[in-house]
Amino acid sequence: MSDHEGQSSTSFALHCFINGEEQTLETTAATRMLNLIRDELELTGTKRSCDIGRCGACMVLMDGIAVNACLTMAYQCAGKSITTIEGIAKNGIDPIQQAFLEEGGFQCGYCTPGMIVSVKALLESNPEPSDDEIAEALSGNICRCTGYGGIWRAVKSAIKMRGSNR
Amino acid sequence: MGMNVQETIASPQVWHPQTAAEAWHLKQSLGTDSIYVSGGTLLRTQWEAGIAAMPKHFINLSSIRGLSEIRVGESGLIIGGQVKLQACRMNTMIQRYFPMLTEALRLTAAPSIRQLATLGGNIASSIGDSLPALLGYDAEVVWFNGIEEQLILLKDWLQIARNLHPERLLLRVQLPFQQREEADGLEPGHEELVHSKTKRFYAYHKVGRREAFTPSVVTVSISGILTEARIVKDIRIALGGGQMIPIRLEQLERELIGETVDTQTIRHAYGRVVQLYEPREDIFASSAYRQTTAANVIAAELWKIAAEA
Repeated sequence: MSDHEGQSSTSFALHCFINGEEQTLETTAATRMLNLIRDELELTGTKRSCDIGRCGACMVLMDGIAVNACLTMAYQCAGKSITTIEGIAKNGIDPIQQAFLEEGGFQCGYCTPGMIVSVKALLESNPEPSDDEIAEALSGNICRCTGYGGIWRAVKSAIKMRGSNR
Repeated sequence: MGMNVQETIASPQVWHPQTAAEAWHLKQSLGTDSIYVSGGTLLRTQWEAGIAAMPKHFINLSSIRGLSEIRVGESGLIIGGQVKLQACRMNTMIQRYFPMLTEALRLTAAPSIRQLATLGGNIASSIGDSLPALLGYDAEVVWFNGIEEQLILLKDWLQIARNLHPERLLLRVQLPFQQREEADGLEPGHEELVHSKTKRFYAYHKVGRREAFTPSVVTVSISGILTEARIVKDIRIALGGGQMIPIRLEQLERELIGETVDTQTIRHAYGRVVQLYEPREDIFASSAYRQTTAANVIAAELWKIAAEA
């Protein structure tokens, strides 16, 4: 077994890209991405809630795909490109965020970063999703305030906005 | 906010074997202080809930070569144990030839979890929601036992799953293609013409405590072939859900073959499901509730099949 194939020591140097910037984080292999993002990098837009992948508040993009940062361990992120809500807004407010603002897609706002990340992942891969596809894509994001009506309108609006910008 | 499990104990060491043999040897040498990890999504829920302790060593299976592909083989469609659930969910071959599996995976967790979790993990848990669908297709599973590969019917493995050595490593699942005859070329739907006087039917249902992204209370797959005269030519019924290891109701299947699907047959099937299925209860649902739910789903599906025949 080569070094790469062998045992990872308790300390682990994670090489990855966070919001487009190359990072090397000294951590442990099993540390959750959520802890690294919030505690080490102080990117607190990613929210902590259920810790078991049930609420979607900690959603981030890993190579463009939405994953739960509370379930993703450091070694699973090696070499990957991670985008948090701060990365989505890096070049100004994203049309998806604008749609959430305009349509009242939030109340307390705790679930909103995760919602926006999930919508971003959906629309990047499928710019004109059906209602069933929207419902499936957001099935892992729970909101306890809105009743989802505003979120649904925001997604529909974001689809239109992005379509007219193309 | 409280600390999570990971923050309260020393961080485990992660091993990255490149072959099944390396993984197996690591498991042998590290013993109960170690665990195979694929996506790790189910394990995380167990650690956080305190159902299981986080071990000192993770054996990462995702770096093992050759376990992350879906391909057509002589024995049918072959799905590697490390293929992500979402990759299976979106695979066009699976959608076309094994639609109950597609539906089962659509109803499993949420896309973000399915991007991490693997089919191998779902199967190896012995309670995954994909299992009733796989049972409906006579799936075979291939394990590595440290010396050689062993092929076993999924339904047989599930009967002994909890008594087997944890070192065993799931390599792949094989789904034999069904004889499709004139069904080829038709879009997947609730039923398909097999030839002019028979129809193939299939359905997968998951009953949970809410509409989406919910643990299962009952999962059902039902599939088979019905003649024009509504006589059952072939049928497979599989049940699971909650902490139950899924099973085929083979006795009921035998009783239904050759019977006309009518009110009497449906009533018989309902009663036999309640008699034959013995689900475990948990804090959310009693055994009787699960039995009744399973019987209702199967009776409703038979009714639908007969009405459409």
